[in-house]
Amino acid sequence: MHDLVEAHDRVKDFDWAPSYVEKPNRYPTKYKIPNRTKDPFRHLIRDYCSMEQEKDDRQYGALSDVIARANMPARASQRWTEILKVVLPVTSFGEYAAMKSSGQLIDTVDNAELRQGYMAQMLDEVRHVNQEVYLARYLARHSRDPEGFDRGYKLRGSNMFTRAGRAALEGFFVGDPIEGALNLQVVTETAYTNPIFVAMTEVAAMNGDQATPTVFLSVQSDEARHMANGYSTLAAIVSNPDNLPHLETDFNRAFWRQHAFLDPFLGAVYDYFQEERGTSYFEKWQEWVAEDWAGAYIARLEPFGLKAPKHFEGAAERVKWSGHTAAMFAYAAWPLQFWRFDPMTERDFDWFESKYPGWYGLYGKFWEEYRRMCDPANGTIPLSLFESLPPVCRVCHMPCILPRPDLSAMRVREHGGRKHALCSDACEEFFLQEPHRYQAAPTFFEEYDGIGLADFIQANGLLRADGKTLMAQPWLNEDRMWTIDDIRALNIVIRDPLHDLPAEART
Amino acid sequence: MSAIAAEAARDFTFIRPRKRRLTEYEAVTVHQQPEPGGFDPAGWYLLTPEGRPAWKSDSTRLDHSDWFAFRDPAALWQRTYVRLQAEQERSIERASEDAAESGLLAAMDPDWLNRVVAGPYRMWSFFEYALFRAFAPASREALSDTLGNALCFQGFDHMRHAQAIVLHLLVIETARTDFQDRNAKARWLTEPAWQPLRRLAEQLIATEDWAELAVAVNLAVAPILSRLVVGGLVGRGAALHGDPVSALIAMTAERDRRRNQACGVELVRMVMAEDLPSRAQNRSVLEEWIATWTRRAREAAESLAPVFAAAPAPIPAFDAFYAEALADRAKLLADLGLAGGGQAA
Repeated sequence: MHDLVEAHDRVKDFDWAPSYVEKPNRYPTKYKIPNRTKDPFRHLIRDYCSMEQEKDDRQYGALSDVIARANMPARASQRWTEILKVVLPVTSFGEYAAMKSSGQLIDTVDNAELRQGYMAQMLDEVRHVNQEVYLARYLARHSRDPEGFDRGYKLRGSNMFTRAGRAALEGFFVGDPIEGALNLQVVTETAYTNPIFVAMTEVAAMNGDQATPTVFLSVQSDEARHMANGYSTLAAIVSNPDNLPHLETDFNRAFWRQHAFLDPFLGAVYDYFQEERGTSYFEKWQEWVAEDWAGAYIARLEPFGLKAPKHFEGAAERVKWSGHTAAMFAYAAWPLQFWRFDPMTERDFDWFESKYPGWYGLYGKFWEEYRRMCDPANGTIPLSLFESLPPVCRVCHMPCILPRPDLSAMRVREHGGRKHALCSDACEEFFLQEPHRYQAAPTFFEEYDGIGLADFIQANGLLRADGKTLMAQPWLNEDRMWTIDDIRALNIVIRDPLHDLPAEART
Repeated sequence: MSAIAAEAARDFTFIRPRKRRLTEYEAVTVHQQPEPGGFDPAGWYLLTPEGRPAWKSDSTRLDHSDWFAFRDPAALWQRTYVRLQAEQERSIERASEDAAESGLLAAMDPDWLNRVVAGPYRMWSFFEYALFRAFAPASREALSDTLGNALCFQGFDHMRHAQAIVLHLLVIETARTDFQDRNAKARWLTEPAWQPLRRLAEQLIATEDWAELAVAVNLAVAPILSRLVVGGLVGRGAALHGDPVSALIAMTAERDRRRNQACGVELVRMVMAEDLPSRAQNRSVLEEWIATWTRRAREAAESLAPVFAAAPAPIPAFDAFYAEALADRAKLLADLGLAGGGQAA
């Protein structure tokens, strides 16, 4: 048997500095990365493949055997199952972006130890994409309502929330590769994969969904290695003081960009799609993000000059309400989505009030009204409850009403002859630093401005197989479902709210 | 009829299958990469500080309107790929253990060990590592998920082979008192015999066009050079010198090479499809690449003739084996209707 330490030492000795042909600088980086950090997992492909094959066999075996035979997906909570239609297309894009991030780290970071870790991560990320897409297809086959699972990967291109997911997760690989590693490994994998892959499995299991925990826990079993990649990368970077000014700027931005999407999104998913209720997203956030990540992981690097992200405290404040507001907006705009919604009940109200004191006073009226608008016979949708809609932030692509409509820090700025809505101090700060990075894609409202709601639904494939019933529904009532005729009768046209907002002078 | 539970939505409806039914490979692979001309009309949400988007349409000189139509002929996704490599590695590990236990490693001809396994084969591990390095950014840049994943797996193949060679030598070290795998890096960097191979390795790492890399490696470098060194010198020689483990490692690497060659062939067929408007332009680019990389591969291959000559008999004759590799490669190009391979030896 090989001596693992010796084997690893030789494997890392493959690297050399080219002398015949200079390697192109494919992914420019501002950072100087010293060649003295460790890959704590000592990856050898032989051991890696054997380990991953075993995990794959367990996971895919469980899905195809017991879980499918017992018809578990069809018996899981409908409220919970519905939200997986959007969760999976978002998480699997994150995995795909992570694969690309790993590929460019291999090319950029001249450190043989780290290259070994990135190599395993690259294949892990292909694994996770495959696992999560497999789960979506599995749910199309086995869940009660397949519509949405069957084409979520197509619909995510025109959905307002999945587009915001793209905006955040492209940060894994579009930019300085080290900035990508900060977004991916240091922020998202270390702070957020526990809330995503561990906490969410608790909710899934409580709600009768055994398939998602089977996949997510298998995904999470790879994440410890990725967190170690992030820590090793970060440790290498902070060991050179020249890197610290860049690190501070990039780390501030990485944290905020991931927070700005992940917290409202995960908060809405976690708190509004549980039927059998347990802990709240805010409680999980306190535990995983505030205490474990900021309190322990980042604090450990403070002696080296790394500080908690500049906007961390602001984010901690926003987290309390941003999921509720995002959920309210998603429910209000339900015809634009591709999953069904389950109205909140008195039981839910009690849970919210106990977990988020003051919740009913802020959101209760909306939910009371919402319940009255579920039946198509009433001929109205809850968007009508709002005097005006919020524009979408140029940077994070989330609606500019976060964390709470009455606490919104939205501002409109003019730059380069265009108006830009920016949801917060932080998004404005990052926009002003590098405005050219955020202007390639139109916002949801810019893209669909002037299009009738019914036309949007038809053009974007948001109808069911019968060609007339909406894929999205405001409730789970299968006898009184909304059709395209009901929507057409509302005569609603999508308008970009930015048109009516004056550009303020920058203060 | 309820609009719920429509049978029409019981499988993915957004992927156009290559054959009659959607395969598992297609289901978990296709349309995972965003496509501004397809399902993602908004384009790119973030640019780099230099202004580049996530993917660049000019990342290859080849032209195709739908890179997502590419299908890996082996239809590998992560599970099947990892299973394949776990099986190959398990067979190597067992053979290695058995060879050590049975005394085969201790009894191995020292000339074979020193002049082939610890010599050119060990140097070849650096070349494989270079291919791993080259395929990482190629996989990152490829213009569809089906292409990017195939290139990712190929990169992993090369690293697997590099590691298998080193691990084999490590096991031999523990089985013998007269052998140590020493100074390999220094030899790779300085000994004149390996410099043409190292130059080629560095040229491959510097190749920016992902399709050029795939074509260069799979239709020029590997069919000539890997075939010669791995399939010929090591693969056939090991069997003649009581080294079944090297023979097995080489056979698994050759299996990977044939799989990747089939991918390269598929890529060429795709960009030379009869109805593709850019067919002629693609042909000209492909032929230019083939000519360039064939010349480079041949230079490196011919520089290794003395290595064959120095290997202990019995060993496959360089000329015969080289001619066989060139003839097979010429047939491969002829089947594809491509010129640029140069004359057979």
